[in-house]
Amino acid sequence: MIRVILGFCLLWPALGQDLKEFEKSVTEFTLANGLHFISVERHEAPVVSFFTYANVGSANDPKGATGLAHMFEHMAFKGTARIGSRNYADEKKSLEAVERAFRAVEEEKYKGPRADKAKLEQLGKAFHEAVEKAGELAESEEFSRVIEQSGGVGMNAGTSNDSTVYFYSLPSNRIELWFYLESERFLRPVFREFYKERDVVREERRMRTESNPVGKLVEVFLSEAFVAHPYGQPPVGWASDVENLGATEAERFFQTYYVPANLTIAIVGDVTPKEIRRLAETYFGRLAKKPLPPPVLTVEPEQQGERRIEVGSPAQPTVLVGYKKPSQYDADRAVFDVISSVLSGGRTGWFYKELVRDKQIALDAGGFPDFPGNKYPGLFLFYSFPTSGHTVEENEKAMYALIDKLKTDKVDDETLNMVKTKNRAALIRKLESNSGLAGELASYYAAYGNWRQLFYSLDEINKVTADDVQRVAKKYFARNNRTVTYLVAPAKEKQ
Amino acid sequence: MRKPAVIRTLVASLIWMSLAAAQQPAARQQVTRQGPVSTYKELEGKYPKLKEIQIPKVETYTLPNGLRLYLLEDHALPIINGRALVRTGNLFDPPGKIGLAEATGAVMRTGGTVSKTGDVLDQELESMAAEVETGIGETSGQANFFTLQENLDKVLAIYAGVLMHPAFRPERLELFKNQTRSGIARRNDDPAEIARREFANLVYGKDNPYGWQQEYEHVDRIERADLEKFYRRYFFPANVMLAVYGDFPTAEMKAKLEAAFKDWNNPQDPVPPFPAVKADRKGGAYLVAKDDVNQTNIRIGHLGGLFKDEDYPALEVMADILGAPGAFRSRLVQQVRTKLGYAYQVSAVWGAHYGHPGLFTLVAGTKSESTVKAIKAMLAEVDRLRQTEVTEAELTAAKEAVVNSFVFNFDTRAKTLNRLLTYEYWGYPKDFIFQYKKKLEAVTRQDVLRVTRKYLHPEELKIVAVGKAGDFDAPLKDVGKPVEALDITIPQPKQERAQADAGSLAKGRAVLERAQKAAGGGEKLAALKDAVVAINAQLAGPGGSMAVKQKVQYIFPSLIRQENELPFGKIVVYSDGRTGWLKHPQGQTPLPGPQLQQVRGELFRLTEMLLLSDRDSTRTVNFARKDKVGDREADVIEIGAQDGLQVEVWVDAASGTILKKGYKGEAMAGPQAKVEEVYEDFREVNGVHVPFKTVVFQNGKKFAESQCTEFQYNTGLKAEDLAKP
Repeated sequence: MIRVILGFCLLWPALGQDLKEFEKSVTEFTLANGLHFISVERHEAPVVSFFTYANVGSANDPKGATGLAHMFEHMAFKGTARIGSRNYADEKKSLEAVERAFRAVEEEKYKGPRADKAKLEQLGKAFHEAVEKAGELAESEEFSRVIEQSGGVGMNAGTSNDSTVYFYSLPSNRIELWFYLESERFLRPVFREFYKERDVVREERRMRTESNPVGKLVEVFLSEAFVAHPYGQPPVGWASDVENLGATEAERFFQTYYVPANLTIAIVGDVTPKEIRRLAETYFGRLAKKPLPPPVLTVEPEQQGERRIEVGSPAQPTVLVGYKKPSQYDADRAVFDVISSVLSGGRTGWFYKELVRDKQIALDAGGFPDFPGNKYPGLFLFYSFPTSGHTVEENEKAMYALIDKLKTDKVDDETLNMVKTKNRAALIRKLESNSGLAGELASYYAAYGNWRQLFYSLDEINKVTADDVQRVAKKYFARNNRTVTYLVAPAKEKQ
Repeated sequence: MRKPAVIRTLVASLIWMSLAAAQQPAARQQVTRQGPVSTYKELEGKYPKLKEIQIPKVETYTLPNGLRLYLLEDHALPIINGRALVRTGNLFDPPGKIGLAEATGAVMRTGGTVSKTGDVLDQELESMAAEVETGIGETSGQANFFTLQENLDKVLAIYAGVLMHPAFRPERLELFKNQTRSGIARRNDDPAEIARREFANLVYGKDNPYGWQQEYEHVDRIERADLEKFYRRYFFPANVMLAVYGDFPTAEMKAKLEAAFKDWNNPQDPVPPFPAVKADRKGGAYLVAKDDVNQTNIRIGHLGGLFKDEDYPALEVMADILGAPGAFRSRLVQQVRTKLGYAYQVSAVWGAHYGHPGLFTLVAGTKSESTVKAIKAMLAEVDRLRQTEVTEAELTAAKEAVVNSFVFNFDTRAKTLNRLLTYEYWGYPKDFIFQYKKKLEAVTRQDVLRVTRKYLHPEELKIVAVGKAGDFDAPLKDVGKPVEALDITIPQPKQERAQADAGSLAKGRAVLERAQKAAGGGEKLAALKDAVVAINAQLAGPGGSMAVKQKVQYIFPSLIRQENELPFGKIVVYSDGRTGWLKHPQGQTPLPGPQLQQVRGELFRLTEMLLLSDRDSTRTVNFARKDKVGDREADVIEIGAQDGLQVEVWVDAASGTILKKGYKGEAMAGPQAKVEEVYEDFREVNGVHVPFKTVVFQNGKKFAESQCTEFQYNTGLKAEDLAKP
C-alpha cells in the first residue's frame, strides 16, 4: 500500500492526495471458497457497476471443441432452474431427452462411411423434435429481461483468448438483485436452448469472420503464427467445431473452469463495503470450493523462420505483420507498451507520420502490443491498410524501415517523455467511469494477484529507457520471428 | 476501421467520478434478511427508495460577439473538457461537392492555424497528452478539447486558434482528399455497411442531401477556397455554443474564455434551417449481389419521426417490444434469434431525430440459406404488432426498462451539460426528458396498437438484402415485393468537359487544323497504314524504378500489338479494340475489362488518329482554354468520342506542335489517375513530325520516361501476324 502512494507522490504530486483517498475507497476480500471481491465506494450518483472476470478464455478450449468458452458465455444468459423455466421439473426431463437424442445422432455419425443414412435422418428428426419440445418449456430470455426491467444498463459479456467477462450497471437500490442473479448464474446454470444458441453463434461467426474480410484475415494470420499454442484458435471456434458442440461437454467445461477461485468480481459505485461483504457471503458463499483448473501448458515452439500467407478476397488490400513476444509476466512488458506508443500513438506516432501523412501509402497503420492476448506469449501486431494505388508489398517494406529505425537509432527524450505523459493521462481517464474502473481492477487482480498493478504499470513505463527500447526491438523484431499475412485479390487462374 | 483525422469526439469520455472525500450514502431502510432470497420476485417491490438525484446547475453566459458559454465545475479529476457545437452540417454540402462539410471539419484541425502548422499542433498537443479535434457531421459541427488541468492555458490557446484562425494548408487538404478516395474505394468491403448505406439512401432518396452519396468526382472538385468559404459562412461566434466542464473555478474560466475569444468577429446572416426530408414512400425489395459472403445483411423499414412528436413515447415502446437493440426480451430476438436460430444480431428501432425524421429500421444478419425465411419472420412480427395489442407484461417490461434506468441519464454531471446543449441547439424545452418520461409512463396497450397502425405501413417497407443470392432459400421476390437489383459499382470520375458552343467548336477546329499542318499535313497523315515503334522506358514502380523494352506494332486505326520485356519476363498484349489477349510467362488470358479499357484509350489517343479527328464525324473537337507548357503558350483542345473517351491536347500556339496530352487513366485500384504525357525530341518520319521522347506523369508525379530507338511507318504489317500469340 505504501509503495503505490510513494510512487505516485513522486510522479504526480498534484494527485498524491487524491490517490490516498482512492485507496481508502477500495475494499477487498476473499471468500472461503476462494472468490475475490474488490469494491470501490463512489457516492456521487445512486448507481453501481458490476464486473465479473472469469479467468478462462478461448485459449482453454479443447482441441476439436473450439468455441466452447464463448458458447458458455452465451449460455450464461439462459437462466437457472428458477429463472427461465415454465416448469423446471418437466423441462429438466426434456433437456435430458435432448441430450440422449443428440448422443444418438453422434454415435451413428461416428460410424463414418458405415453410418446408416436413413437412420441418421430419423435420429436427426427425433433430435430436432426433442429440441423443440424442450424449447416450449423455456421462459425465453427471462434472465436478461429481469435485468433490463430492473433498470440494468450496459449489460453484456465478452470472450477473449484469455478471459470471459460479464458486466452491467444497476440503480444502487437494487444491489441485492445483482448478487442473486450473478451467484445463481454460476451456482446452477441450466443449459437450455443450447442447440438453438449454437446456430446463433454460428451466425455470429458468419458475421464477424466469414463475411468480413478483416475477420477472415485475422483468423488465418493467427492460425499461421501459432503452430501449437491455442492462441492460434479463433475465440468463436472453427465452423465445424461449433456445429458439433454438445451441451454435456459445455457443462463439463463450466464445472472445470468456473470455480470460485477462478473468478474475480469488482463493484464500483454507490455501495458500502459492509453491505457488499454481507451480500457476498450470503450469495456467493454458496458456491462450493473446488480446485483451480490447469492453465494452458502447451508452449509454442520457437519459430525458425519467417511465415508468410495470403488470403484472397475482392476487398481492398490489408497487411498484418506479427512478431512473437513474451507474456505479461516478462520483465520487458512495459517496454513493449512504450514501443507501441512510439510507433502508433496518435498523429505523432511514426506509422502515422510516415505511412499515412508523408508517403500517403496507408489509409491507417499502427500496432497492438498484446495480440491476441497477453496471459501467454503472443504477438506484437503491426497492420496497414494501403491507400488506393499502393500495394501491401510497398507498405510492408515501409513498416520494416520504421521498425528497423528502432534498432539502429535511439528514441529521443522528447518522444519518451511524450509517451510517459500520455500514459499518465490515460490512467487518469481510466478512473473516470464506474464500469471502466470495475473492469480494470478485476482484470489487473486476476492477472497479477494485485489490482494496484494498474498503477505500478505506470511506474514501470516511467523507468523505460531509450536503451531498453533498442534492446527489445533488436531482440524480438527479427525476420525469423515474424508472420506476415496479406489480404489481396485472388490470384488469377493460370491458363 | 478508424479513419484518420476523424473526430475523436470527447463525448465518450465525459463520464465522471468522485475521488474526493466521500459524500454520505443514502440511508437505506432495507431490512437485513438472513440468507439469500430464493427468487428475484421476493425482492421486487421491496427495493429501498432510490437516493435523490442532484442535478447540477450549469452557468451560462453570452459574450458581446454572440458566443454562448456553458460552464460546469467538476473537481473529481484534474482534467478539463470542452465541446463546441456549431450550427452547420453536411446537409449544406453543395450538390457537386458532396463531402465539403466533412473536409472542412477535418482540415480545420489538420491544416493547422495561421501561426502553427498542423504538425506543430500535433507535437505540442500530444506532448501534453491533450487533444483538440474538429469535425462536421450531418446536422452539426463540433470542436472539442481535452487537457490535464495543468496545461489549460496552452491548450485553450491552441483550441481558440483552431476555431478562429484555421489555415487550411493545401497539403493537408490533399492528404484528406486522398484518404477520402481510398475510403470510397473500400466502401463495399463490409456487407453490413453496404446494407446500412443503401437502405438509408433509398428511403431518403438519392437526389437530396439526406440520401446522396459522395463519389470520386465530388472529391476531385473540392478545393481549398471552398473550405475557407464554408468555414467562414458557419464558424462565427453567434453560431457557436461552447461548453466547458472540469476542474476549474467558473469565474476564472469565464474570464479566460472571454479573453481567448474577444477578438472573434465574423458577422454572417443567421444559418437557414436544414432542408426538409422528402421520402419516397414506395415499398420494394432491393438486392445487392455480393458473392464473397455467406451471410445476408438485411435492413427493412421506412421513414420514422421526430423526438418531439406527440406519439414518440408510444412508438418507442412499440419498437422496444419489437426489437430493442441489445435487449434479449424483444420479440425479434425471441423469435428470429432464440426460437429460430436464424440470426446473431436482430433488432428494430423507431428512428427519430431532433430535427428531421429518422428511419424505422429492422436489422438482421442471417446465413444465405435462411434469407427469405428470416425476412418473412421479421415481417410477420411487424404484422403481429398491427393485429393485436401487446401483452401487459411486454408493456410493463418496456416501460420499466426506461423508468428504472432513468437515473443513468444523470449519473455524471457531464450528461446534464450535454443534454442542455443538445436541447438548446434544437430548440427543445429544457425539461424535455421529464416530459418524455411522463408521457411514456402513461402509454397504454391501446396506445401502442393505435400508433403501430397509424405509423407502420407494411406496404411502404423497403427491404434491402446484401448477400449471395444464388444460395438463398428462395427467390427474394417471395417476400412479396417487386425486386430491384442495386448496382453498387463505384463510379469512376467523369472527366469535366469545357462548355461547347459554336464559337468554341470553330476555334477548336482551327487549332486542330494548325496542328495537322504542323505535323505534316492531312494527306500525309491519311496515307499512314501502319507503324512499328521500339522504345526503351523507365517506369517508377512501388518498389523502385524498372526498365522496360517495348516493341509496339499498330495497324491504323484499331489494331495494336505490344511486346514488353520486363525484368521478370515477357508480356505480349494484343487487341483489335473490341477484344484482346494478354500473354505472360505463366500463360495466356483474355484481356480483362480494365486493361481492355486501357487499350481502347490508347488507340483513341494515337496522335496520328487524333490529328484526323476532323475527318471523323463521331468525334468532337472543342477549344477549352489557353494554357502554358513550360514557358510555351498553348491552346488546349478537347477531343471526345461517342463512347465517352476524351483527351485534352496542348497545341503550341506558335508552331502548332502537340506538346502534351492529358486524360483520366487506369490506376492500380481505386479512382482513375490524372495522366499527362509531355512530348520532346521531335523528328521527321515519312514526312510526319513525331516526338521521340515522352515523359508520363500520374497525378502530378513522374511515372515513366520513354525514348524511341526505332520508328517506321508503312512497313506492310499484316493483321494476322499481329494477332498471332
